[in-house]
Amino acid sequence: MILIVAEQRNGVLNRASWEAIAAAQQMAGGMPIGVLALGASVGDAAKELAQADVAEVLTGEHAALGQYTPDAFTMALKGVIEQKKPAIVLMAHTYQARDFAPMLAARLRVSLVTDVTGIGGEGASATFTRPMFQGKLTATVRPAPTGTVIVTVQIGAFRADKVRRGGSASVGPVEIAIDTAAIRQQPEAPFQEAKQAVDLSQAERIVAVGRGITSQDNLPLAQNLAKAMGAELAASRPICDSGWLPMERQVGSSGQTVAPRVYVALGISGAIQHLVGMKGSRTIVAINKDADAPIFEVADYGIVGDLFEVVPALTAELEKK
Amino acid sequence: MTRETLEVDVLIVGGGPAGLSAALRLSQLQKQRGGEPLSIAVLEKAREAGAHILSGAVLDPSTLRDLIPDFETRGAPLLSPVQRDNVYVLTERAKLRLPIVPPPLKNHGNFLISLSQFVQWLAQQVEAEGIDFFTGFAGQEVLTDGTRVIGVRTGDRGVGKHGEHRSTYEPGVDIHAKVTIFCDGVRGNLTKALIHQFQLSKDREPEQYAVGLKELWDIPPGRIEPGTVTHTLGYPLRHEEFGGAFIYALPENRLALGFVTGLDYADPLFDPHVAFNRLKKHPLVASLIEGGTLVRYGAKALPEGGWNTIPKLYMAGGLIAGDAGGFMNSMRLKGIHLAMRSGMLAAETAFAAVCAGDPSEAALKIYQDKIDASPIKTELYPVRNVHQAFGYGLIAGLMFSGLMLLTGGRWLEDLRSRPGYRRMKTLAWYYGLDVPVTRPSNVALIDRVTTFDKLTNVHYSGTAHEEDQPPHLIVQTEVCSSRCGPEYGHPCLRFCPANVYEIIREAGQPPRLQINASNCVHCKTCDIMDPYQVITWVPPEGGGGPQYNGM
Repeated sequence: MILIVAEQRNGVLNRASWEAIAAAQQMAGGMPIGVLALGASVGDAAKELAQADVAEVLTGEHAALGQYTPDAFTMALKGVIEQKKPAIVLMAHTYQARDFAPMLAARLRVSLVTDVTGIGGEGASATFTRPMFQGKLTATVRPAPTGTVIVTVQIGAFRADKVRRGGSASVGPVEIAIDTAAIRQQPEAPFQEAKQAVDLSQAERIVAVGRGITSQDNLPLAQNLAKAMGAELAASRPICDSGWLPMERQVGSSGQTVAPRVYVALGISGAIQHLVGMKGSRTIVAINKDADAPIFEVADYGIVGDLFEVVPALTAELEKK
Repeated sequence: MTRETLEVDVLIVGGGPAGLSAALRLSQLQKQRGGEPLSIAVLEKAREAGAHILSGAVLDPSTLRDLIPDFETRGAPLLSPVQRDNVYVLTERAKLRLPIVPPPLKNHGNFLISLSQFVQWLAQQVEAEGIDFFTGFAGQEVLTDGTRVIGVRTGDRGVGKHGEHRSTYEPGVDIHAKVTIFCDGVRGNLTKALIHQFQLSKDREPEQYAVGLKELWDIPPGRIEPGTVTHTLGYPLRHEEFGGAFIYALPENRLALGFVTGLDYADPLFDPHVAFNRLKKHPLVASLIEGGTLVRYGAKALPEGGWNTIPKLYMAGGLIAGDAGGFMNSMRLKGIHLAMRSGMLAAETAFAAVCAGDPSEAALKIYQDKIDASPIKTELYPVRNVHQAFGYGLIAGLMFSGLMLLTGGRWLEDLRSRPGYRRMKTLAWYYGLDVPVTRPSNVALIDRVTTFDKLTNVHYSGTAHEEDQPPHLIVQTEVCSSRCGPEYGHPCLRFCPANVYEIIREAGQPPRLQINASNCVHCKTCDIMDPYQVITWVPPEGGGGPQYNGM
């Protein structure tokens, strides 16, 4: 079987978990798919997951899973994997997965394929494509056929809206064994900074500004467009470097890698360092006065023009709706 | 948070050919002697061995043979023996092949290598000896007790952009050693401080530098025989500029393509990267790389000055080896074997001093005697005036080189020279009233297929730094808008091969310097070539920098 590890926090599913389900459905080739929700109480999340066309939804509940610790998650998952013996364990390449997946793979002594952007073939013979060297190269790998293979899929690489729904998934508990004494981490309550931090990788729409905005005073222009679109604001390196926006909003090789449905690049020339962070976006709209700017090479829609004219017009049009 | 201290017998700063050879030699001497082993530590600022090192490279295996006689069975990564040498003089559209390869450029018996791979392999040999090799730690500061070098302080971690301590803050470690061997490379930050503090360059000729830009290409099969070594003179440089290209055909359709420019050019608007792009458009190079793909990019300064510019290499508690000391033969375009040799000799000196319990200056002076009696002097002394002769132009340089070969370097009086940065002329001096608004522009050269802008090239260097840290390029006195702009037209914009320096022009404000420190590929050109000498390169937080796999 293929076992998907869904990620939820306080009953709210991580959107990327749906992408993992889409990836599993694509590669299943007749293998049954199971989805595992882990947490202290995961009933709501399980109900939501059961809408997908999968064989079963497993609820792995344990008090020690209420707040994330790598030890508890690794112990719980190791137990489930040993019980269910899935051929593939699939999850989204979230911060959480990045944290525990290597330890889990090492404990189980199985292969780990991370940050997968494409899957070829089906079932046990599937191959996985993943970026190397900051996205400059991609490698296609086939894990050695020894036991379970753990796979994490890059956020945005598979489409959540392509998940086949319907079906009649059974929902049932799975036994979770955690030796609480062996948990070495003591999580503190999530602190303020983390609450404010934006996770751009989760945004469905992004408006990003580059040096073409010329001055911090012009940022409201982009903010208004973002608001009208329901988008997060992001930026290329020079903007964050000048302190006009916080570093956590930086997209590119030295910032975040994002893949929203819509990415609007305002006054961004498209240096390769920026492109590697956003080229996976589904639809890229570029507004730049330089028709030769490399951003237009990746843009689906390009407007060669002055962003100070185009953006207000665009915002006004969006606000009408 | 308290600072940790570590005590060792010998500390080696810099895990390049010199430092790693020193480490290996120490371990050999220790085995010969037996008894209580010395404690040895090697510091390397890169995250892994070889990540920050770049060279052509053609290796003269003489020192390697002495250091590791069974290097072949130990799998030294020698990519190919050199099969043939070509030397061309280029004009804008044509090439003239020299009928005879000048003797210093004959490479029979030498090997093409990737210095990065070679250093990785050396590091494996060092680690196999049980020596502590600390990667990701840069030597930030020399520790002295006033008269004597007592060790090195490594850089702090987790310092934020404005100097504040982040949650990950960890102060650097003080490593105390009986003898410290400084192998921090060309224009090493610690050696620079030592030269200043201990006046090591007194009565020496000023060091002369060049900067080399290099790219690795995957090219279509069948273009060039592996093992072919090509050097060029002339275009895209003018008679007044020193330098040339190297084109090394590696196995598996790899091409190492590089361009070296003397950092003593006069034209303030000269840009080594533009010259490199011009070279790539020349038929000789274009016909090789067309249809290929760029794999890596990098840049590094080279010490070109030769024997008379080598500083005093010893002081109480400290020795200098490798590129930091200027051990390079600019006539043969080789320095790896000299760096390794100097590292070995420094190790022998340090070993004797530690065993005798006397790391005084008098005891360490033996290092100089060893160098004088070694193949280093035999090789460097006869050609000591060659680079300086090129200061009089290409033709004079070539003629002088020939003369040196005939006479074996006998000459009445050594040639004098000035530091390269002082040869840069002001815009007014160089161009008079006709300062070109834009030089034959780089933009027209960039096709994004075989030629790129600097920022794109930087991407191919794999450079990454922790973003939240203070800039590691320190401009002591901002003279950008007040003096440098009007006088030289901001040459940092051009000599930096990695787009670190930018002048931001905002309406109603004077031009402002922006330092994109995280682009820095650690080549040191700015520290060397800035006409006001106000830029100081210091190591960024350990581990940051380029990733020169295969370079």
